[in-house]
Amino acid sequence: MANQSLSEQLDKIVDALFARPNAASSRREPNVGASLRPLAKIAAQLRDLPGADFKARLKLDLERRTSMASKPVTAAEVRQTAVPYICVKDAAAAIDFYKNVFGATEVMRLVGPDKKIGHAEIRIGNSVMYLSDEFPDHGALSPQTLGGSPVRMSLSVDDVDAVAARAVAAGAKEVRPIEDQFYGERSGQFADPFGYVWNISTVKEELSGAEMQKRMDDIMKQGGFPTAPPAVKPIPEGFHTLTQYLAVKGAATLIDFFKEAFGAEEAFRVPRPGTPLIMHAQLRIGDSILELADATEEFGARAVANILHVDDVAAVYQRALKAGGTSLSAPHEQPYGDREAGVKDPAGNQWYLTEIRKTGHRTEDTRTILPHLSLVGAAEFVEFTKRAFGAEVAFMHDAPEGKVLHARIRIGDSILAVGEASDERAALPAALHMYVANVDAVYAAAVREGAKVLRPLRDEPYGDRAASLQDAFGNLWFPSTHVKDVQF
Amino acid sequence: MKDRSQDAGERRLVEAAQKDPGRFGELYENNFERVYAYIARRVGNREEAQDLTAEVFHQALANLARYEWRGLPFAAWLLRIASNAIADSWKSKAREQGNPSSDELLSHHIDMEDVEQRAKLFRLVTTLPTDQRRVIEMRFAQEKSIREIATELGRTGGAVKQLQFRGLETLRAQLVASSRKKPAAKSASKSGGTNG
Repeated sequence: MANQSLSEQLDKIVDALFARPNAASSRREPNVGASLRPLAKIAAQLRDLPGADFKARLKLDLERRTSMASKPVTAAEVRQTAVPYICVKDAAAAIDFYKNVFGATEVMRLVGPDKKIGHAEIRIGNSVMYLSDEFPDHGALSPQTLGGSPVRMSLSVDDVDAVAARAVAAGAKEVRPIEDQFYGERSGQFADPFGYVWNISTVKEELSGAEMQKRMDDIMKQGGFPTAPPAVKPIPEGFHTLTQYLAVKGAATLIDFFKEAFGAEEAFRVPRPGTPLIMHAQLRIGDSILELADATEEFGARAVANILHVDDVAAVYQRALKAGGTSLSAPHEQPYGDREAGVKDPAGNQWYLTEIRKTGHRTEDTRTILPHLSLVGAAEFVEFTKRAFGAEVAFMHDAPEGKVLHARIRIGDSILAVGEASDERAALPAALHMYVANVDAVYAAAVREGAKVLRPLRDEPYGDRAASLQDAFGNLWFPSTHVKDVQF
Repeated sequence: MKDRSQDAGERRLVEAAQKDPGRFGELYENNFERVYAYIARRVGNREEAQDLTAEVFHQALANLARYEWRGLPFAAWLLRIASNAIADSWKSKAREQGNPSSDELLSHHIDMEDVEQRAKLFRLVTTLPTDQRRVIEMRFAQEKSIREIATELGRTGGAVKQLQFRGLETLRAQLVASSRKKPAAKSASKSGGTNG
């Protein structure tokens, strides 16, 4: 306890050092009791402690100059020739993490008007690394958005156990525990909070390549390495972040309609045991997945709307009517250049057929199926998705009275079209199956932002960890992470 | 004997850097804290200290070919550049503000022993146990509050204050230990003839 009060007293002294506006006097030793006097003196001198970042930055500046000044020194000797350039969600937080955990020093950062980091350079040990924030418009996507990274970072340190403990304390997850490896290193793998996996190692024995090979051959002779179970993809093959999920009366009929009208291909269907009903079916239309099921008490029949990008609006429109759809609007040219038509499928879902004529659309904009949400309170909805799902506004067309006429928001790698419901356009919320790499975090954020829990997060028998939520605007969300491959 | 072999090592480093500026980095590493300590003590403003330190090393790099070995530590040469840079900066400031500069401010006295002691302290910070080092660096070099540090490190304010206390204790113990190892006479002999 005595120690604690000393540390409190000392901190008051340190505070006073920084508080004194007069620079010269703040360097003088403050007035203190005898026991703390030596420490106060050191504290006063540390007032001038240079920043490690500054020291590293100046060194790099000088190195850049010397590389220009002297011919015999090659770029490789002065500047690292090959540099990893990683993209992360929240680069500023990542830089802090690498500083605290790996002892990185910041060399520089370029910050855009949106406060996002366009480019930053850090130094870890003797290596330079570049990083930037995520910029989906420029194809710069983070592992968090992509659901993982195939790149492993390799970090050599003096004390792997200490660095790993620090990493875990700062939020990294152990992927492979630290072990002594046959190739002379003690190492383990850790996923940082930004989706990169670091192989952290300390060399215990200096071995030649031939010696490593011999040890590996010996292990192989004895039956090889124990094999790890195959990795599970948190976002299953073919899925994007958001997929519209239809709950209808007459799912089987509707599947036939989609096949005939939209050229859908059926991936599979799972019948509800003991009934002719469909519990779950998955279709592919163009580059998109559409999921549907016969309505249940829990997941009642509801109509939703989608934009369907097609090559020939007139032809698809005709096929849809022939297959049992009804017309919402005949093919027509829009003033902005697209050719559009509208049909209602036999279950009442609305499909806005769109033939894109203009160029310059982003890839997510031209996915075959683009969920379209007509909502009461579209502007508030956009704010909700920003807070709950990290959505970004890709496009916003405001109506005069502050209502959103038409907006496109990006969540993960998917786009939603959102508009304010009106007399002409009835409210049609969506039902969205949402695949993310870390459902626990997404679920927590959505609930925190007021989403109602219809079914709490749990591991489902089909291998997903999933939940059902409803937001204040009537949309259903099914956030999911695939955690286990299950054979049906 | 020890001092002489250190001198010889430094002389070789300087000559190597004169032939190949790519080797300047080692001289930088050996002297950064000294130059910074000297400048920061005199200007009392972090931004200005950084600007002047950068200027000194850039000047030193540019003029390295002209440096002649006269048996003085390389640091003495760097500190003279620093002293001139500080004086120039004060003169131009005084001119801008229309104030005549005081002789005291422009004095070229370099207290080598004081510089060495402060540089040693700064280098000792990098050898602290990680937790203590992070707290000391954030608190003093980054001038963060206890609350900011606590948030960043995910600890309580009390724990951060404890680490600060322990860090300063460790530094004090190491300073005492190192001053016992080296008799004062040696560092005093180094400070001779560096004025002006």
